[in-house]
Amino acid sequence: MTDATVFAARGRTWRRLRRNPMMTLALGVLVLITLAAILAPALTPFDPYETNIRARLKPPGDGHILGTDSQGRDLLTRLLYGARTTLLIGLVGTGFGALLGGTIGLCAAFYRRLDSVLMRIIDVFLSFPSILFGLSLAAMLGPGLDSLIFAVGLSVMPGIARISRGAALSIMAQDYMDSGRAIGLPDRRLLSGYLLANAYPPILTYTTLAFGDAVLLAATLGFLGLGLQPPTAELGSIAAEGRSFLFLAPHVSTAASVMIFVIVLSFNLLGDALRDAGDRRSV
Amino acid sequence: MFSRLIHRGVTSLIVLTGVLLIGFLMLQVIPADPAVAIAGPQGTQEEIDAIRRHLGLDQPVLLQFVWYIERVLSGDMGRSVINNASVSGELLRAAGPTIELLAVAMLWAVPTALGLGILAALRRGGIVDRLVMAVSVMGVSIPVFWVGLLMIQFAARTRAFPVQGRGGPLWTIDGLSHIILPAIALGLILVGPIARMTRTTLSESLYADHVRTARAKGASEARVIIHHALRTALLPIITLIGLQIGTLLGGAVVTETIFSWPGVGRLAVGSIIAGDYPMAQGAIVFLASAFILVNITVDIFNELADPRIGAKT
Amino acid sequence: MTDQRPFPGIAFRLAGFASAAAIACASAAAAQDAGTVTIGRTSDADRYDPQRSSALAAAEVLYMIGDTLVTLSSDLKTVEPALAESWDISEDGLTYTFHLKDGVTFCDGRAFTAQDVVGSMERWLTPDGPYVSTWKAGIVDSVTTPDDLTVVYKLKAPSSGLLYQMAQFNFIIIDPEQAESLGDDFGVTAFNGTGPFCFESWNPNDSVVLSAHEGYSWGSPALGNTGPAKVDKVVWKIVPEEATLAASLQAGEIDASYSLPAWSIAQFEADPSVTLLQPEAAFRTHYLGMKVTRDFMKDIRVREAVSHAIDQSAIADAIFFGTVEPTESYYAEEALDYDPSIDTTPFAYDPAKTETLLTEAGFTKGDDGFWQKDGTPLTLTYYGFNTSREQAETVQGDLRKAGINLNVELYDSTAIWAKLREQTYDLYQMDYPYLNAGDALNLYFASSSVPSPNRMMWEDEETDRLLEAGNSAVNADARAEAFMALGKHLHEAILWKPLLLEKPTVAIGPRLVPFEPAGISGAAFGTGLNLELQ
Repeated sequence: MTDATVFAARGRTWRRLRRNPMMTLALGVLVLITLAAILAPALTPFDPYETNIRARLKPPGDGHILGTDSQGRDLLTRLLYGARTTLLIGLVGTGFGALLGGTIGLCAAFYRRLDSVLMRIIDVFLSFPSILFGLSLAAMLGPGLDSLIFAVGLSVMPGIARISRGAALSIMAQDYMDSGRAIGLPDRRLLSGYLLANAYPPILTYTTLAFGDAVLLAATLGFLGLGLQPPTAELGSIAAEGRSFLFLAPHVSTAASVMIFVIVLSFNLLGDALRDAGDRRSV
Repeated sequence: MFSRLIHRGVTSLIVLTGVLLIGFLMLQVIPADPAVAIAGPQGTQEEIDAIRRHLGLDQPVLLQFVWYIERVLSGDMGRSVINNASVSGELLRAAGPTIELLAVAMLWAVPTALGLGILAALRRGGIVDRLVMAVSVMGVSIPVFWVGLLMIQFAARTRAFPVQGRGGPLWTIDGLSHIILPAIALGLILVGPIARMTRTTLSESLYADHVRTARAKGASEARVIIHHALRTALLPIITLIGLQIGTLLGGAVVTETIFSWPGVGRLAVGSIIAGDYPMAQGAIVFLASAFILVNITVDIFNELADPRIGAKT
Repeated sequence: MTDQRPFPGIAFRLAGFASAAAIACASAAAAQDAGTVTIGRTSDADRYDPQRSSALAAAEVLYMIGDTLVTLSSDLKTVEPALAESWDISEDGLTYTFHLKDGVTFCDGRAFTAQDVVGSMERWLTPDGPYVSTWKAGIVDSVTTPDDLTVVYKLKAPSSGLLYQMAQFNFIIIDPEQAESLGDDFGVTAFNGTGPFCFESWNPNDSVVLSAHEGYSWGSPALGNTGPAKVDKVVWKIVPEEATLAASLQAGEIDASYSLPAWSIAQFEADPSVTLLQPEAAFRTHYLGMKVTRDFMKDIRVREAVSHAIDQSAIADAIFFGTVEPTESYYAEEALDYDPSIDTTPFAYDPAKTETLLTEAGFTKGDDGFWQKDGTPLTLTYYGFNTSREQAETVQGDLRKAGINLNVELYDSTAIWAKLREQTYDLYQMDYPYLNAGDALNLYFASSSVPSPNRMMWEDEETDRLLEAGNSAVNADARAEAFMALGKHLHEAILWKPLLLEKPTVAIGPRLVPFEPAGISGAAFGTGLNLELQ
């Protein structure tokens, strides 16, 4: 395969992606939510921490588009700030997990002697249901943003490691790896310039899917009570808080849950679109 | 084939040891000293030191790990620091309800997913296919706790189902009505991935040579699908179900908590939040080991059902 | 791949079968067993041993399966006979002689004798034993038995509150032999008591099952039914989710509860199938404790400033939907020995005073609107229960409006006690039940109770002197005088911010006959003798 054909294949993938309306929609929604979360302070006139409990649990309308939460704060404002936290945990957590998992996977494929040791370690991590793993980590490290990120990162890591190894193994079988070795390139160059550069598409696809899982995991941890301490807004904790008022003011937990759902769904659709595009390329 | 089975067994054993090691290290890393917890609010330094010696906490970590494995193998996983209950006893008691919940969830979810997957595969690209794909991606994106909350709202409004706890034995109306909502909530996690896998593998195998041959020979449509196409497609599906057990166990943690189902998941969450580390450790090690055992079983099943799988890799 | 569509018929049949299986077998919520009452609550006890647990969750079950020597009338002011038929107190207030009822038996059929009282007291008061709340027993010299039906309880110093304390669940008479043989499993795997119900089984964090004690007839007449119990079984069911708990009462899965969320009580008022009941007297106060040894909090002006910044009536109205009363004193005005002349103005919501007091104490307001002193921002740390998250957030919001930054850390009820021992908090939130002023004062304020339960770290000679005077008083007037003076002294010191006064509200479903809830220790179902099915 020459460089020209690789680029041609990539160009085709990209055109296919753009033709996929789901992908466009998902990407649009994500960009919109992310922008809204980043620009939250400028978008909303309300203070996310200013309580007014005598005006709590107001239904949508009447000055508050989505109503108010259990402390009388504007719910939409809380959701935007909550999305900030949740996306941050997902992003940094997945990034951390991808870095760690990707490195492990590539190394396992590249240094064959390390393979079985590394993969058994990954198997051990895979054996723990990610929610439990996250729960116990968050409990051990105490509540806080960094421990949540760490927990989420370690939970998505093993999956990424496996995919990376698989992808890297198929690249290892290519002739150009041998040629690279033959001309005496150092391991570092081979790993980054050859292996990673060619193995990254499936890793990227999987990481996109893992991002959805990470957001879901972060929200679930928040829901189960191991989220952040008040008054920080986090989507899972908002849903959990609203669960006390399931019958009185169902809008609180519903709005937060829908927001989580939309974010995770968009990431999954995006991941699917990437996967489909990649699949067809190989046909 | 046997050598592969043995190899699989050995690697599983290594992984299991790793799981135990992580469970063990959890107790080492936590900020709370079990001796202080056992000594209680009135504990003096002398008492704490005595308890540390009694528990062997003053010994090298590696030696402690060996003892820990010995204890676990003999079924002793320690005692709760909160109520002194035996961890193994509590786990044993909670295991039944969890297995029951998982079984019922799979009982409805797997056939439904297979049905949807078959439907999608047969009419690939059609409306039904798109619908199935949409439903399956939504299924994996929806927070399990939200499904639970919606069901509780529904049940409390209509009073059609009990909203919490476990009823009498499963075969009674009481037992059945209690399990329906949590089992539906939990099963939803499975439908998406399995339907999807069925669709993919089945649509491939529908055009495989032996299926074409069968059809050419004039076998009925139902026979072609069930006896030939589905049979080939079944192995990857079963493997996927084995892998999904991990997700399912994670989902059980949430579902059991929301519906007050007295299973291992709720036990784990309760003890983690309460800082009851021996209990938490026991529950986590238990769930992880269950996951490994299920996957070994799936592998063995695969080996026995289709030796070619062994030959291929 | 081509888009062929072979065999549509079979596809529909297969899918149809699968979904039919999925939606099959719907059924209505099952009815409960006749004769069984199910009570729902959100949390379980650590163990059911009256001498080793201080949890309300333990008290509510223990009152049903065990008896105390004496009990209290429903206004909590008169001591009534229970296992003791009558008693005499010596002139010097040091010797209490109890005459026990004849014919009382334990659940295992063994006859109850004075020896069981001695055994119970000996175990509880074992020096260095893992036993709780032993101060309630007074400074005991000896507990002896001249005969099988007489107990002589000798004190080293008079204890004016002793008989009231004896009605508390820690004084429940246990089977000393069983306690000895079961060790750490006592009250976990089994409990043999003399109460109207017998301990059948406990599945921690799920349920406790009690069955009626056959032949029980020694209940206190002042509290209604003397026995036997009118129901066969009582099941205490744990439902950790408040919303689920409320829903299950409406659905008839549980018959009664008093750990219901406030919003549901407000709703149940309009629901004809649910009846709400309250005891004649029951005291439980929610407060914020202030730790006086912390850098900022050792200044009484800062403590008062914090107190003025928090609006307890908004908490009562909004968070508790008006089901509790806001309060400005450490214990209820209706409680025995409350001094009506206590100045409660430091505990009123008045944010303007916060401003004045902090300025006086040398704080300045920064550009961000938060107070600081010598460059250090006025940031406080708050420990609370994860079940009171809303209240914590409201306090945090109130203080934020006043320019005080509050770090909130919430913990599970089983983990918070260990956290409180780490002592890195300025404020902590708690609620406590009490019988009267003396009880409340003894619980929290003695120097000897530092660091726990005196979590304010309040060490004060005057407090100890007045407490001693009140406890050793041999008549009601002397006791009242000392406790009133102490109450005034402690309110002046501003150690707490009183928030709410709560009476338990019991909600019962249509199966139960309305009854009068009990007030002792906050265990509203009392002995369970008054539970009756329609």
